[in-house]
Amino acid sequence: MNFLRGVMGGQSAGPQHTEAETIQKLCDRVASSTLLDDRRNAVRALKSLSKKYRLEVGIQAMEHLIHVLQTDRADSEIIGYALDTLYNIISNDEEEEVEENSTRQSEDLGSQFTEIFIKQQENVTLLLSLLEEFDFHVRWPGVKLLTSLLKQLGPQVQQIILVSPMGVSRLMDLLADSREVIRNDGVLLLQALTRSNGAIQKIVAFENAFERLLDIITEEGNSDGGIVVEDCLILLQNLLKNNNSNQNFFKEGSYIQRMKPWFEVGDENSGWSAQKVTNLHLMLQLVRVLVSPTNPPGATSSCQKAMFQCGLLQQLCTILMATGVPADILTETINTVSEVIRGCQVNQDYFASVNAPSNPPRPAIVVLLMSMVNERQPFVLRCAVLYCFQCFLYKNQKGQGEIVSTLLPSTIDATGNSVSAGQLLCGGLFSTDSLSNWCAAVALAHALQENATQKEQLLRVQLATSIGNPPVSLLQQCTNILSQGDKINRRGSKIQTRVGLLMLLCTWLSNCPIAVTHFLHNSANVPFLTGQIAENLGEEEQLVQGLCALLLGISIYFNDNSLESYMKEKLKQLIEKRIGKENFIEKLGFISKHELYSRASQKPQPNFPSPEYMIFDHEFTKLVKELEGVITKAIYKSSEEDKKEEEVKKTLEQHDSIVTHYKNMIREQDLQLDELKQQISTLKCQNEQLQTAVTQQVSQIQQHKDQYNLLKVQLGKDNQHQASYNDGAQMNGIQPEEIGRLREEIEELKSNQELLQSQLAEKDSLIENLKSIQTSPGANEQSSVTASDRDSEQIAELKQELATLKSELNSQSLEITKLQTEKQELLQKTEAFVKSVPVPGESEAGIAAKTTDVEGRLSALLQETKELKNEIKALSEERTAIKEQLDSSNSTIAILQNERNKLEVDITDSKKEQDDLLVLLADQDQKIFSLKNKLKELGHPVEEEDELESGDQDDEDEENEDDSKDQGHIQL
Amino acid sequence: MTYAYLFKYIIIGDTGVGKSCLLLQFTDKRFQPVHDLTIGVEFGARMVNIDGKQIKLQIWDTAGQESFRSITRSYYRGAAGALLVYDITRRETFNHLTSWLEDARQHSSSNMVIMLIGNKSDLESRRDVKREEGEAFAREHGLIFMETSAKTACNVEEAFINTAKEIYRKIQQGLFDVHNEANGIKIGPQQCISTSVGPSASQRNSRDVGSNSGCC
Repeated sequence: MNFLRGVMGGQSAGPQHTEAETIQKLCDRVASSTLLDDRRNAVRALKSLSKKYRLEVGIQAMEHLIHVLQTDRADSEIIGYALDTLYNIISNDEEEEVEENSTRQSEDLGSQFTEIFIKQQENVTLLLSLLEEFDFHVRWPGVKLLTSLLKQLGPQVQQIILVSPMGVSRLMDLLADSREVIRNDGVLLLQALTRSNGAIQKIVAFENAFERLLDIITEEGNSDGGIVVEDCLILLQNLLKNNNSNQNFFKEGSYIQRMKPWFEVGDENSGWSAQKVTNLHLMLQLVRVLVSPTNPPGATSSCQKAMFQCGLLQQLCTILMATGVPADILTETINTVSEVIRGCQVNQDYFASVNAPSNPPRPAIVVLLMSMVNERQPFVLRCAVLYCFQCFLYKNQKGQGEIVSTLLPSTIDATGNSVSAGQLLCGGLFSTDSLSNWCAAVALAHALQENATQKEQLLRVQLATSIGNPPVSLLQQCTNILSQGDKINRRGSKIQTRVGLLMLLCTWLSNCPIAVTHFLHNSANVPFLTGQIAENLGEEEQLVQGLCALLLGISIYFNDNSLESYMKEKLKQLIEKRIGKENFIEKLGFISKHELYSRASQKPQPNFPSPEYMIFDHEFTKLVKELEGVITKAIYKSSEEDKKEEEVKKTLEQHDSIVTHYKNMIREQDLQLDELKQQISTLKCQNEQLQTAVTQQVSQIQQHKDQYNLLKVQLGKDNQHQASYNDGAQMNGIQPEEIGRLREEIEELKSNQELLQSQLAEKDSLIENLKSIQTSPGANEQSSVTASDRDSEQIAELKQELATLKSELNSQSLEITKLQTEKQELLQKTEAFVKSVPVPGESEAGIAAKTTDVEGRLSALLQETKELKNEIKALSEERTAIKEQLDSSNSTIAILQNERNKLEVDITDSKKEQDDLLVLLADQDQKIFSLKNKLKELGHPVEEEDELESGDQDDEDEENEDDSKDQGHIQL
Repeated sequence: MTYAYLFKYIIIGDTGVGKSCLLLQFTDKRFQPVHDLTIGVEFGARMVNIDGKQIKLQIWDTAGQESFRSITRSYYRGAAGALLVYDITRRETFNHLTSWLEDARQHSSSNMVIMLIGNKSDLESRRDVKREEGEAFAREHGLIFMETSAKTACNVEEAFINTAKEIYRKIQQGLFDVHNEANGIKIGPQQCISTSVGPSASQRNSRDVGSNSGCC
């Protein structure tokens, strides 16, 4: 409690003395006490004093505290207190709140203590090793202490960390700490660590810093995140700015793609908090870091491509055209888009195609230019638009052409509905706002940059001034305004308008003799320029004088001597006489000696603190650098030298022309050679093709010949065949025999049919007979007994006969169908043959005739077969008729049987009578006998039918033989 | 461009042995005869294909000068592969290998694949270190060995790819924890890990790695 009393007392009575004592005592305890608790309490007390008595504690306790760090590592509490105390001593952060006026002094204090602390490099290493301790009480103050050390003496501490093994890597682990406080303070530590130290930046990047930081930004909600996002973005900027290796790594790691969601801000934009604006600002700047014009060209262009491919540029353009975006974000977005498209044709083309969501949709370029020439817009925004326009035209001949073409008479929209870029530029050029004049002049100059075609095209532009006056060329109008100079009342700096116009004219005329001629053609221009240069004006006018000198110099240097009165020589004499060479050169030198000149020459972006500084354009400074020397030389050169040079030039040109002539000739001959070579190769090809075709055709012809011969032989054979079968009727090889055979068969069938018919007729008569016999039972009742027996026999016989006839009919119909199918086959064959015949006929004229012949024959045959078919049909009809007859006879037989049954009943009746009539029997015996004889006679023809059946079988055999013959023919 | 894996490499070795030239030859397929001293560390990247898998190689080319040694040490920890390069025409660069190897072993993950490279094999007439010596050193320390020429591009491709194959094999065997980025390996975006796939195939490759000493 001693020291506490000391503290309390110290405040009232002379703190310097008492505190020093107390602190001394505490330090002694820290140093000498063997009890950890005691030491810990002492360190805690020191901590509580360290804020107020920073100097005293710092001087006396530093050494002891470091000792504690070295020896008491096991106790995280005491380490924590020691680190806190050291932090309080070294850091300036807390002090500022307490004593505002002594900030300066305290800063010194902080750096002095830092110096003392890092004098022993081991102390920093020790601190690094303590950071490996996971305990929050150690790690957190450790991070804070190291951060303030880095803030105090960055480079020295960085060097120590760099050489301590794994120093940087260990600090990177802080980003993975699950405790947000430590992670966030880790980000701040890394910010201080990476500040302007390329080597550390690379190591941090190597340790996956990009991945981790981008993850944190995503987790925190991108631009909607808090200050952590801001801190991460600043760290990313540290890692990437001016570090090509890291930029390359960033691009190769596909991290550009991960930037796209940053700019998905949506159109509602309900809230633009200050933090969000800051975050978005940093995000835009990060994009610019990757595509900065000061980066190596290859690196920038590959990043530009990646930004287009992943849709980042498109996303930025959406913000550009969105509503409700705060002005400074909009300005920075324009600047960012500018650098993303600068010198990258694909991106420039895309930008040209972007339309504002207005009605009707206007190109974004036009909308932006409207802002540029609108004096109500903020200055920085106008500068940004100018930059965007410049970047769009940078190395973009296509874009330049498009812009200039909107000024040309042929393409101007007569209806005047839509405002074109060219109209806006002209409007700006001749408005009464000097800033617009300057911006429009510079913008137009960029449309001409390194583009001789557009310089000539722009000469065609005519302007309608006032009603009644003839139109004036754009060039003329520029010089008119220039010469009127001060007479027009303008807002803003008067010099700005003239400087802008002069820069435009210088750009226009350089490297374009035709434009020079146009310029000199106006006789007022040269006197105006010489007048301006010769006058002895105030300092303010020096720049305009210099620019006039430059313009005159350009008129001399790029003069092609096409105007008699303003030849090179004459202009030079004019300078000698009116201005004096020395004076002229001195005035020319005014440009590059201007204080704003070097500023503009550093960066392409037109970035001016205020409108008065808007004097030079970056591209123009390049032009001045290029031309100053050559113009000076051209002015000093004597006329003789000039002439000599001209002669040399002429001879050179002649040589050149000869060389180019020969070159052209060689080129032409080369082309011819190539053509001829090609021709030869194609001809060779054709030749080969033709030869193969010829060989093919030869073989084909041979084949056809063979076929022809074969056919001939066959035909001969056929003819022989036909002669033997068919009385010389001209028939195709296989067909005639077939037909003959078919005919024969039909004939046979016919005869069979006839036979069957006659048999039927016989049977019919028999039945008739039987009927007649049975219908008179009364007359022959006695005979009917035996007759009925006979009848049943007869009926059985008849049935059998019918069955055989039926089977015969069946077999015949089968045969007929067989024959029909055969015929079909034959028909097909003939058809196939008909088809196959014309193929060889094509090549062989002789065969053609024969085929027609054959065709004729075939059709005849077809006719015949048709007829035969008809016959067969008729026959089959007949046969069915016969069948019907058979059926009807069958039915009569059935009736007869019925009758017979009746008769039998009758007979049994009559048998009874018979007994009665037995007497009569003897008388009638004779008669019965004769009747019996008659019945016997009737039995004869039945026996003959049996003979006929065997004859039918013979027929079938013959048919089978025919079949086999047929097959033989087909095989032929 | 998507990839299945991303491997981090470092190239180490004495100054002037051709580390930057090896990288340039591998990434840009060109050779720069003028020695442009590397300051600190430079970065290069290329995609290669191993067993039908796209693998992105991120390569850090370190400065060989002693004064940068402390900086380059920071790169060992996060690397999956190292190309340790010496110059076959300068024996001292071969003699320093032990010290480089010590450094590497001390600061790197134990699984880091080290490929020993004897560069400038095109300068056969000025050879100062026999091929057999390089082979022996590699055998002794468990390294893969190759002789290359950054000038003629001989074996350059193979050196980088064989190292990648060996790392891939170790992944298949489960020796690398692919989720710990401190090992210098990262799984590509939208890539599912199948550590068990085709270990036999990769083992075959590893044998190839050992025997493939190419044309030099």
